[in-house]
Amino acid sequence: MRPPRDERRGFVLAFVVFMLFAISVTGATGYMMVASEWEMSNHSGQGAEALTVARAGLERFVAEQIGAVGDSVSYALGDGVALITTRKLYEQDSLTHVYYVRSEGTVDDIFSPNSPARRVVGGYAVHHKRPLAHHAMVMIGANRIDVANGGEIDSIDRDNAVTCTGGGATPITGAIAAITVTEADANDIQGVPDWEIWSGGSSEIVDSIALRWDVLSDPDFPVEFENTLPDFGSIPSDSFPIIRYTGWVYANFTGRGLLIIDGVFDPGSSFTWDGIVLAKHTDDIIQGHLDGFLVAGLEGPNMYSTVDYRMRTHFHSCDLNGANETLSYMELLENTIFEGS
Amino acid sequence: MVLSTFIIGLVSHAFLVQNQYYSTQTLRTSAQDNVRTATELMAREIRTTAGGGVVVAGARTLTIRSPIAVGVVCGQEITSGRHIHTEGGPAGFDSDEVGGVAVRSGTTWTFQNTTWAAINGSDSQSATRCYDNGADTTGAYSEFHRLNGLDVLFGTAPNEGDLVMLFRETTFKIQASQLDPTTLGLFRSQYGGALTEFATGIDATAQFQYRTGGASYADTIPGAAIDDIDAIRIVADARLPAPTGGQDDVRFGWSVNVALRNIQ
Repeated sequence: MRPPRDERRGFVLAFVVFMLFAISVTGATGYMMVASEWEMSNHSGQGAEALTVARAGLERFVAEQIGAVGDSVSYALGDGVALITTRKLYEQDSLTHVYYVRSEGTVDDIFSPNSPARRVVGGYAVHHKRPLAHHAMVMIGANRIDVANGGEIDSIDRDNAVTCTGGGATPITGAIAAITVTEADANDIQGVPDWEIWSGGSSEIVDSIALRWDVLSDPDFPVEFENTLPDFGSIPSDSFPIIRYTGWVYANFTGRGLLIIDGVFDPGSSFTWDGIVLAKHTDDIIQGHLDGFLVAGLEGPNMYSTVDYRMRTHFHSCDLNGANETLSYMELLENTIFEGS
Repeated sequence: MVLSTFIIGLVSHAFLVQNQYYSTQTLRTSAQDNVRTATELMAREIRTTAGGGVVVAGARTLTIRSPIAVGVVCGQEITSGRHIHTEGGPAGFDSDEVGGVAVRSGTTWTFQNTTWAAINGSDSQSATRCYDNGADTTGAYSEFHRLNGLDVLFGTAPNEGDLVMLFRETTFKIQASQLDPTTLGLFRSQYGGALTEFATGIDATAQFQYRTGGASYADTIPGAAIDDIDAIRIVADARLPAPTGGQDDVRFGWSVNVALRNIQ
């Protein structure tokens, strides 16, 4: 006999409730497992990203460092931010300092903005304060330099220790070329010695000056002034800006700093410069006045094998050092990266 | 009555199957979490291993020297005392973990095992000595510290400007688990210490593999190539017994490649 209708209705209700309960438990358990796994992998991924951001920040800071070393800088990298701080720890000499560089990478989680993933890496770097090795007042990767027609190269320092720190430097070589250096008058070149012959020419010069010309001439390498001069009246008198020109540069201007010519340096008689001139090539006739150094022929032999040198070039160590310090860079010491806390 | 029995049986079976599924999934998740956490902890120590810091590179045993703190010698005493700066100073690391000290010469490190107690030389003048040599000590007075006895360890004490590393020497070993003898476990020990199990449920396929340039990994490498190791793979496959009898164990394949940043 079938049970009364009322009893059957109760059984179905209980069955449905049970099934609903089972399905709910299944769903809740599944959700908890997936949510927990998602959260864990998400946090793990953010931690790994924070580490990558920290490392990238450290590398970028060292790679982009030029000039004076700042105390701190931050970069937005990917989904995170790298905060770089530095601390000078040792002065090996007046030109070489050892720094500790710390990079803290953080990656925010929108679900917990107050506790971002955070990783720290540290490393050590040497700051080369005046990296350009100045072997001579004039170094041109040409076969011949003829100093004549009013040209003059004097490597006796016209500054002294009172004028600036490092003033009163020892005289250096006057000029360097690949085959011959001549002077019209016995006093046109004054150096110790007056000149040297570097048969390796351009490549020997590039190797010896300890500068990355490929980096300095790279259009992607940021400089303060590109194909234009600053208003020298509006910048501090002791600042030496970096200025880069490309192409054939008829230089008839006055200024100071580090002048990079990614092309042909063709100075006229009214050219006056305090600092350093680095050029891919020079014209066959050079005129004007330079209180500092000239290095040319930085991408193979100079386009003119003989240079008629009519420029008056004097050794002013204060100008030279000021311009040289704008080239200062950091070198990360190999095998010193570690993770901090 | 028959229909009710059939339905109850069906529901019960469904419940049991679901329960088994939940248990398996929970175990699988547990196995994943277990090996993930373990390999993440290991990777953090392995990643910054310095050049020359791999001491033992076996399929089931790995011993590495990784930096706890790196510092630069910024001052020295007439005696062998050397003043260094490390981030956070001595308070910034667990001195019990120190397994030795290394000095950087050229681009490589020379390691010597020792204890923190043997080289710790507290000196209130460390920051002053380093300041005299150009160090920026602002807000970091306590981060400068003195180390003694480095001349005994290295023949001569390091020069000013040299880098010094305090390292931990850690051994990772894959062997029979003490907590669950049916599986393997991952063990860790500090220099001179006993092995401690920190992950259980590791499969017999677990091992360490090594890369010495190129792209391939091997579980054994010639002794002469140990300094050429530039990446370590942790194969930490997980295995846990099934929740009920008559079923296969729950397995989870997991491996992590850790590039040695300081060596590449």
